[in-house]
Amino acid sequence: MKQTFLVLKREYLTRVKKKSFLIATLLIPLLFPALIFGIIYLGSRESGDIKELHVLDESGYFTDKFTDDSYSYKFVEGTKDEAIARVQEEGVYGLLHIPELDLADTSTTRYDNIGFYSETNPGPQVQGRFEGAIRKVLEDVKLEKSGLNAQVIESLKARVSLNTFNFSDSGEAKESDSGLSFAVGYVFGFLIYMFIFIYGSQIMQSVLDEKTSRIVEVIVSSVRPFQLMMGKVLGVGSVGFTQLLIWVALMVTLTTVGFNVLGPSSEMMASGMSPEAMELTGTEEQVLEVKNMLGTIPVTKIVISFLFYFIGAYLLYGALYAAVGSAVDSLQDAQQFMLPIMLPIIISIIALMMVIQDPHSNMAVWLSMIPFTSPIVMMGRLPFGVPTWQLIVSMVLLIGGFIGTIWVAGRIYRIGILMYGVKVNWKTLKIWFTMKV
Amino acid sequence: MTNVNILEANHVSKSYAAHKALDDVSITIPKQSIFGLLGPNGAGKTTLIRIINQIIMADQGEILINGEKLNPRHIEIIGYLPEERGLYKKMKVGEQLMYLAQLKGLSNSEAKKRIKHWLNKLGLYEWAGKKVEDLSKGMAQKIQFIATVMHEPDLLILDEPFSGFDPVNANLIKDEIFELREKGATVIFSTHRMESVEQLCDDIAMINKSQKILDGTKKEIKNAYKSHKYQVDYKGALGPLSSQFSVLDTTTLEDDYAQAVIQTEKGQNPNELLSELITKTEVHGFMEIIPSINDIFITIVEEGKS
Repeated sequence: MKQTFLVLKREYLTRVKKKSFLIATLLIPLLFPALIFGIIYLGSRESGDIKELHVLDESGYFTDKFTDDSYSYKFVEGTKDEAIARVQEEGVYGLLHIPELDLADTSTTRYDNIGFYSETNPGPQVQGRFEGAIRKVLEDVKLEKSGLNAQVIESLKARVSLNTFNFSDSGEAKESDSGLSFAVGYVFGFLIYMFIFIYGSQIMQSVLDEKTSRIVEVIVSSVRPFQLMMGKVLGVGSVGFTQLLIWVALMVTLTTVGFNVLGPSSEMMASGMSPEAMELTGTEEQVLEVKNMLGTIPVTKIVISFLFYFIGAYLLYGALYAAVGSAVDSLQDAQQFMLPIMLPIIISIIALMMVIQDPHSNMAVWLSMIPFTSPIVMMGRLPFGVPTWQLIVSMVLLIGGFIGTIWVAGRIYRIGILMYGVKVNWKTLKIWFTMKV
Repeated sequence: MTNVNILEANHVSKSYAAHKALDDVSITIPKQSIFGLLGPNGAGKTTLIRIINQIIMADQGEILINGEKLNPRHIEIIGYLPEERGLYKKMKVGEQLMYLAQLKGLSNSEAKKRIKHWLNKLGLYEWAGKKVEDLSKGMAQKIQFIATVMHEPDLLILDEPFSGFDPVNANLIKDEIFELREKGATVIFSTHRMESVEQLCDDIAMINKSQKILDGTKKEIKNAYKSHKYQVDYKGALGPLSSQFSVLDTTTLEDDYAQAVIQTEKGQNPNELLSELITKTEVHGFMEIIPSINDIFITIVEEGKS
């Protein structure tokens, strides 16, 4: 125990005392928002660029009917071939060609001879936008042809936005906000994903360094290999945890200071709102709105679960990274063993995107149970509300999972660290695993 | 309790998958001795040492330290310098020694005192704040040695201690080892370069192909493998000797001097040879030819083959 702590302390201090740790810890919280704003900025500039589009409308229904201001529409005359040639010549974005359409024929509702011609494939989003715009115009024309006037048509339309509610434990229905749940789920899931990658590979590097610097045999003459491995995993993990705490503290301070400078009433602070929420707001009204929304997701449950899954995922994968580091002599050799470790992590992050769209699907439930994927996937599901029994099963499985991987990793580690210049493959690992010490 | 042996290994065996690394090896190491664990590469020396250090466990047999079955408390009384050795390159010398000392159970203040003492002793005190990667190879070797001995182990295990040490440092380390022995430590030298430790060792065990092939005090072994040959330096001619002596070889040296190797019968007193020689020539030197440990090893291995 004491030995493990000494190893932990060394791993922790040598990392935290490094300048690069300080820089990374301070820069990442600044870098991420900057990156996100940068992408949004680029994105907005892109769509802000109004592209010129030629429309060859042989049906005559569409004149001045397009209202989308992302494009400037120029209605052209002539044949299709001429129009295409002109588009190419003038460097225009594309040509929308609408041939004669027989809207009087009520036996068909399909119009599939409309064409879009451009140098590059416009992508599904743009394609969908045109399809929608054209459909709307055609529907209006057809409705008018059936004898309804424009006013009636307008009054016949319906616009719906769905409000979502969750049952609380007291049976009361509370209004929920899917958008916020979506964001919270994604951010927490992504944090776990990021930490596994960054700190997992640090463990591997650390094990490898001890092996290549040949100090490991000196160390294991004082410390059991398992203690050494655990000290390492926990030490590097503590660094990650410290980083996380600093970020939270930084956010709290920055927003508090920001608030005091910007000047909203101090009652707001006293009302116990989460400071992250405040950061998003400019005015008191918005603050209240965010506060209400936050009330709809189980904040305490999410934070506690996040800490649990964060630690669980880290232990589970950290041990595996340590085992890989012990088995090989160089980072290049580690590649072959990295894929099977990274695969479930990558599957988790891909699944997370789908899970936050449909948090109660079969796939979401299963992936939030399997220990290798549960930490990331469960974080995606939690803001939407997860039955308590599912959460408990998932947590118990994760505990079993990391005990299992630590056990397996420990058996490979104790042999691997003393093996130099051995050609290691999966068979070797299996032999080491079954070997008695 | 007065136990004369610091270490006893009884019938120790160890296998790796299909390969038998140690086969029923027993050794006894008296307190305050310098013990040579000799044998070629791959004989099983490092396996035995790792078992003593509790890095791996024996399949069969037992190890007793001071008469007590090997257990985790013994880690603190052993100092181990492995064949594959190194230091944390990015760590400062002082911090590194502190870490290694604490792993061996030293308190913070005690460790500080000893680190200071040893760094001073080996002339490295001003390097305490430097990173290991800034040290020369010789300095790093001294630091490794300090790390091995600073917790004042009763049992010092040095695996190929002089490989990679330059001659100056090797001598320095030899002197330190003798000093530690004077203070009560027992030293195990493990090496395949037998001539390098021959003069240092009191007791010897030889291991070849996972088996112990020979052990005992250096004296006993040398006596047992003596071939009763004498080397004689003389001037002038050497007259014919009586039949119990046979001249195996003569070499002419400069200025009328010559050297002969003479075989005697077992159990014969060298005085008999000497008194006969005096009547036959002018004797300038007379010496019994004692085989080196290396020669003995080769003899035994050859015998084993035939």
